[in-house]
Amino acid sequence: MKRLSNKTAKLSLKRLLLANPWSFVIPILLGVSASLAGVALLGISGWFISATGLATAFGVGVFFNYLTPGAIIRFMAIVRTAGRYGEQVSAHNHLLSLLRTLRLWVWDQRVAKDAANLHEQSRGDLLQRLVSDLDQIIRWPLVVFLPWLYALVAYLAVAILAYVILPDLLWPLAIAGTFHVLVVPFVCGRIASHSVHVGQILGVHRRSRFVSLFSALITLTIRGHWKDYSQRLAQLDEKQRHTEMRIQQAVTLGRLLAYAVTILLLMSSILLLASTDPLSGRWVLISNVQGTWVVGYILSLLAVNELVLPLVQSFVAQGQSQVGLRRLNQLHHDALPQKVSSTDAIQRIECKEWRGFHGSSGMGNKVLDLTVESGEQVWVRGASGSGKSTLLASLAGDCLSSGNAFINNEPCELYNNLMYQTRLSYLPQSPYIFQQSIAANLLLGNPEASDETLWAALRAVALADWVKSLPNGLTTLLSFQGRNLSGGQRKRLALARLLLRKSPVLLLDEPFDGLDKATIETICHSLQNDYKPDILILVSHVGSRIGDSSRVIEL
Amino acid sequence: MSTMKRAKKTTRPGRVKTPEVAFLEKLAGQQSTKYRLAKGFGVLFAIALVLQAWALANVFSDMALHQSFSMSFLVLGLFALLVRALANFGRERVCASASRDIRYGLRRILLSHLTELGPARLRIEEDAALSTRVYEQVDALDDFYSRYKPQVFMVMLIPCVILLSVLPISRIAFFVFMLTAPLVIVFMIFVGHKAAQANRRQFGVLAMLSNQFMDLSQGLAELKRLNQTDQARVRLSESATNYQKTTMSVLILAFLSTATLELFASLSIAMIALYLGLGLLELLPWQVGSSPVTLTQAMFLLLLAPEFYLPLRQLGNDYHAKQKAEAAATDLLEILNVSVNQGVAKTTKTTDAADTVPSSQKVDTKDLLRFQKLSWLDAGRYRFAPITASIQAGDRVWLSGESGVGKSSLLHLLLGFEEKYQGDFLVNGQPFRSINLSAWRSTLAWLPQTPEWVNGSIRRNLLLGIDTPSDVALRAALVQSQCDEFIDVLPAGLETKLTELGSGLSGGQMQRLSIARALLSKADVWLLDEPCSGLDKETAQAVLVTLERASKGKTLLIVSHDTHPIAWANRHWVLTSGGLHEATV
Repeated sequence: MKRLSNKTAKLSLKRLLLANPWSFVIPILLGVSASLAGVALLGISGWFISATGLATAFGVGVFFNYLTPGAIIRFMAIVRTAGRYGEQVSAHNHLLSLLRTLRLWVWDQRVAKDAANLHEQSRGDLLQRLVSDLDQIIRWPLVVFLPWLYALVAYLAVAILAYVILPDLLWPLAIAGTFHVLVVPFVCGRIASHSVHVGQILGVHRRSRFVSLFSALITLTIRGHWKDYSQRLAQLDEKQRHTEMRIQQAVTLGRLLAYAVTILLLMSSILLLASTDPLSGRWVLISNVQGTWVVGYILSLLAVNELVLPLVQSFVAQGQSQVGLRRLNQLHHDALPQKVSSTDAIQRIECKEWRGFHGSSGMGNKVLDLTVESGEQVWVRGASGSGKSTLLASLAGDCLSSGNAFINNEPCELYNNLMYQTRLSYLPQSPYIFQQSIAANLLLGNPEASDETLWAALRAVALADWVKSLPNGLTTLLSFQGRNLSGGQRKRLALARLLLRKSPVLLLDEPFDGLDKATIETICHSLQNDYKPDILILVSHVGSRIGDSSRVIEL
Repeated sequence: MSTMKRAKKTTRPGRVKTPEVAFLEKLAGQQSTKYRLAKGFGVLFAIALVLQAWALANVFSDMALHQSFSMSFLVLGLFALLVRALANFGRERVCASASRDIRYGLRRILLSHLTELGPARLRIEEDAALSTRVYEQVDALDDFYSRYKPQVFMVMLIPCVILLSVLPISRIAFFVFMLTAPLVIVFMIFVGHKAAQANRRQFGVLAMLSNQFMDLSQGLAELKRLNQTDQARVRLSESATNYQKTTMSVLILAFLSTATLELFASLSIAMIALYLGLGLLELLPWQVGSSPVTLTQAMFLLLLAPEFYLPLRQLGNDYHAKQKAEAAATDLLEILNVSVNQGVAKTTKTTDAADTVPSSQKVDTKDLLRFQKLSWLDAGRYRFAPITASIQAGDRVWLSGESGVGKSSLLHLLLGFEEKYQGDFLVNGQPFRSINLSAWRSTLAWLPQTPEWVNGSIRRNLLLGIDTPSDVALRAALVQSQCDEFIDVLPAGLETKLTELGSGLSGGQMQRLSIARALLSKADVWLLDEPCSGLDKETAQAVLVTLERASKGKTLLIVSHDTHPIAWANRHWVLTSGGLHEATV
């Protein structure tokens, strides 16, 4: 756990395995004992039955001690059941704690990202993929590592039996074991891994092409070109089908190979144990080898075969985990050195040759000089596309900028500077509303606020009446991204949240958009009285009382 | 009532087929040949299984009793094992290929269905979510078709074959199998049902947890601004811990189903081994001094015992595949159930053909479009009320009305995506159903509220689906739509990429690009669906001014709210739930 929570660590399967070693030991022990008991159950039963048959044939059946082997067989049956059950429960417990660790890791990586890149990653489908990657990866220890370990341990156990019967048996056993546990799964995994990788890339590509084409469906249809475009979608699908087929072929072929190895192992073991008798034409076991033991040995080998068969599939699954890991590691971000600046309240913002712009398109406002002093209110106006919002976002440290900024006359880097950003409140054009209760959303502004404070903030943005009319009031749960709110309500709720922070600098991007005169009036009144900031910078295309009393900057 | 009763009787009591199950079965039916082949491989597998057990039993008993064995039996046993492996190989290949054929075929159907639905697809869900259904959800059927479905047959086949081969050898072993098999199944169903419930609940909680993670992650920028990322981390951590606790209490129960199976399998192997051992020692309490089976028979039974329970255990492991597939089927059916309803359209066509002929004779052919009592009744509800109106070439019509009254539906009908209308709809005097749809569509330009873009450069998007115009024509279109101002200052100009992410272009600029595209397509009829509703007043006004200038000489039908009046339209229609009336301009 400690290793993973290290914020600068990259993810790897090894690290995943060692993330919480102690809670992983229990499922391993239980699983190993269950697997061994499964192999032993067959082996001992085989030996037991042949030994009893032999004893009777020799007429000593009455003296045969059947109690001990009988008890062992029953014990093995119970160990196999209880072990398997305990393994599943404890392994899943481990898995869930891994999920928690990984989620927090992803969270830390994302927190370390700067604003512009963060925006790119916040797209719904990207995040969705991230979440499903996580689910894929945490299953790795369970579906890949544990089965492999069980097969290995079972082989070791059978090796002991082989050694007891005839040390020479170790040779074919070692070779078969190498093939079963290492060569076949790894080779098939390798063959498939390329296809898995290609398949994942194709999947992403196919999906984005789908969204891209369907978003222009009508235009493409009426222009009569839909067919060409949708054919390309079909081609991608066809390619995907081929990769899928190759993966499946690798799995089935691997399983066939595993069977073949088992057959060869059985054959060579028998050849080592027996020699042909020229008189009867039958094969006779060489001296010092007990037939009953050989029976037990062969039955154990058949049981081991069952443990080996799933390995190929799980190694192909490993390829998927690795692709997921690679994608997660793209998130990886070395912790940013925090820019140091004073924590004094912002008295003065001065920007020289300032231009805010978007990283992707380079669009932004034209270069300007700007100074805002404490006690001032500024109204930024301009035609659509003049970069009002970009300018405000750059002042809030949310978007890339060029030029020099001075806070309280000291040079200061604004972009992604947490120390600076915590001292101001910024209402972006489309603020985010969380899928929580109204109260919980508001408390993000000030976790210590009392209910009365929350109501006051809601009154300040003229939302109090609406919240009162809701059957659950403040505890009303909001839907995903606040979809059950109108645009205006969403913005006002976010504004109320900001007002609760009581920060001296307020940057508002179009707070009045879509609101009626009376509501605008209420908000202006609040901003000029109870919630008056030291510095207010307002971007709006709507006139308001507060705008009229402000210094105007025309873009 | 009586018909209902009869209907119930025909289906097996207590097992009402859900639409999902019926859907999954219907799809499987398409690949019946392959599944039959898979069954053939299954039978081969079962026979090889018994053969292998019999041959190896002979080898083992000889080995134990005489220290020698017949090589031919050994070779036969190993050969049977090889046949098993090959049969399994064939079965897996065939099933995987059946699953692929089903899934890729289904995907093609879904894609063409969505294409036919056109704008109606958005009634189901937005495009990104639809892509999840078309790709991920269809693939979620894989385990069901490649593993679960063939396994159901094996679960019945193998125990039956083993029971049959055991019967002549040992009654007792037969009864042990006979007794435990139903017990296993009963317990499986009993515990499995509980487990399925628990599983569903756990699935729900997991979805909630993912949702919380998604929600907090998407709002991360906001949390950073509010300086609340640490609190969110604590919340994530706490809910994950809680989830772990609740899930574990559920899983402890859920795994009982697997454990029961294991227990029965292990115990009956142990029981049979002990019975056989004691029997061979001639110590069985009810027949002391004689053995019920020979050693060979005992070995045979012992070898078959684990195989008897193995398919059941595998089915238990694959059980979640069925649940997953049914969940996916629900989502897929939702898409397929939104019908294009061409069948209905055809029947109405024949009935109103008689009315159409006389009315079309009356129609003045200089009308470009004519609606005669045109309405759209969907599931007993009017999408829009019957309207009678006409548009001449060159008309610029502003269509307003409250939301939900059917303005967009009328546009979708004009685009040719809906054919379920009643009444007459004539284009140049011809009934709409009889005209060449693609020729009609090629005269249209479509300017929706959110302009349609594909991934690619501005140039590629402007020229989407049209022949490359000359540079002069392109320039002229850009100037006319006033795109030149902002494109010229872009560092990459026309080659600037437009992506799903947005491009940094404002809503007004995107609408202007839409206008440029309409101009370049040389379409005569422009259909606009609330082109200004996402824009602020100022920008909207500016876009409308551009539109006025650019659309001179074209026929326009603009849907727009009263908040964005189209002052320069020469006609103004108001659509209400009662019908359409023309307002004075």
